[in-house]
Amino acid sequence: MAHIWPIGGGKGGTGKSFLTGNVGIMLAKQGFKTLLIDADLGSPNLHTVIGRFYPERSLSDFFSKKVSDLEDVVLETPISNLFLISGASNKLDVANLAFEQKMRMLRAISRLDYDYILMDLSAGTSFNTIDFFTLSGSGVFVCCPEPTSIENLYRLILSVYIRKIHHLLKSPSFKDLTQKAESRNPDATTHKPEVLLHVLKEIDPEKAGRIERILQAFQFRLVINQLRQQDNPMIGNLICQIIEKYLCLNMQFMGNVSFDERVHDGLCRKAPFVERYLYSQVTLDLRSVARGIVNGNHEQTENSLSVSQT
Amino acid sequence: MKKLQDQHFYELLNVEFNASPLEISRAYKEHHELYREDSLASYSFFSKQEREEILAKLQDAYSTLMDEDKRYRYDRLLIERGILPEEMQFQAEHRALRRASPSTHFIRNPLLKITDELKAFISSNTVIQEILSYGVLSGKDLKRIRKELGISLEVIGEITKIRPMFLHAIEDDAFDIAPSRMFLRSYLKAYAQCIGLDANIVANRYLKRIDEQKIPHP
Repeated sequence: MAHIWPIGGGKGGTGKSFLTGNVGIMLAKQGFKTLLIDADLGSPNLHTVIGRFYPERSLSDFFSKKVSDLEDVVLETPISNLFLISGASNKLDVANLAFEQKMRMLRAISRLDYDYILMDLSAGTSFNTIDFFTLSGSGVFVCCPEPTSIENLYRLILSVYIRKIHHLLKSPSFKDLTQKAESRNPDATTHKPEVLLHVLKEIDPEKAGRIERILQAFQFRLVINQLRQQDNPMIGNLICQIIEKYLCLNMQFMGNVSFDERVHDGLCRKAPFVERYLYSQVTLDLRSVARGIVNGNHEQTENSLSVSQT
Repeated sequence: MKKLQDQHFYELLNVEFNASPLEISRAYKEHHELYREDSLASYSFFSKQEREEILAKLQDAYSTLMDEDKRYRYDRLLIERGILPEEMQFQAEHRALRRASPSTHFIRNPLLKITDELKAFISSNTVIQEILSYGVLSGKDLKRIRKELGISLEVIGEITKIRPMFLHAIEDDAFDIAPSRMFLRSYLKAYAQCIGLDANIVANRYLKRIDEQKIPHP
């Protein structure tokens, strides 16, 4: 079964597509059969990151049921072992997916025969983005060492946390819980979602325990991108500490990716960065991220794709 | 995770109960880096009020645990409330004593000051009294006594300055690595003194067992 890694991060421009594309290329070159899915449905551009390339089929063919099998929208890429499900010619309304469609897509993805599946998600905290995290139970968050990016990262993670509790509790009891929690702490549904679990523990300890176990089984990773020389290289570790301490989520720091002016140059030339600048620091950093994804396998097999749990 | 107000200082700083001042200071610095007003890592995660509360508690934890007297009193409080297990009492006393005067390491019996309490405990403890009623003592017996007292081998090593390897050898009856008989006797005496037992009795009974069983070494 494939290892599925949704890749997201609250803010736009943090390098989600860049990281997905280039890490995907590295995994493919190491001999792993790798599939990249451009799940940034509103603004897809993963095909551009991995090279000049005109995708003829896209995800919306699957959603509109033009094709029944997700495998039919998989495209070959100029790189061997690397495959792509593009979003380039998506219909314009595909950015708003129903929950059932996402479930259908994830079920179809879990049946695909690849070693690694990396999903490039859109910025923001729309349900399109957070549902891929909640449903797959894993994910890589990409963040820049800047207040704006970190603020949105926390927002995304808190949204994933609340959304998962919502899924597991079903609407009426979730509404009841939020009302009770908000009467205790007005920030319960904004900054302090852990209050929800504290309150639920008092109302229904068994259910709270079950939800807590599901949340703890999440396999989240963090990558700090565009780290400049003057930045604190430990920032990723500190962020993970906060997430683990206050939300009890399993958040591991995967590494820093250095800032490099040439990333812009590579994109303008529509050439994959890791191919064009093979011996740069960024390529070295991305290699260690790819290694982290390969080493993360073991843990994911036990917790992967919790679609059946929801 | 426990709420901030429910955490004791050791939990807050994420250090062991017997952490050294250096470890506490390091933990404080790390936590302060995480929660300080202009920390990038926790930016937007806490409200202003929460951050102030955390920083105040951190400061409180640091000033308490870095002061020997305050820390001793705080440990006693935690033990009384049942937050820390009873056997930590002796560790707390050992630590307080060691900290109170660094030169205690060189005093022949550094535990003389607290032996009254320790001896009262020993004489009232049935397990220890039973072991002490045997004619001979094995390493396993000594280990059981030590465990009853809640004293770690590291503490004994630190006070007696005997290498941990030999202390382990004494408790495991591992005579292939035990020192020569003369050293063994003095080590046994130091060990016994350190945990409040009669040095000569312990050494004699331990060596008697070796002689009786004709264990080749030492």
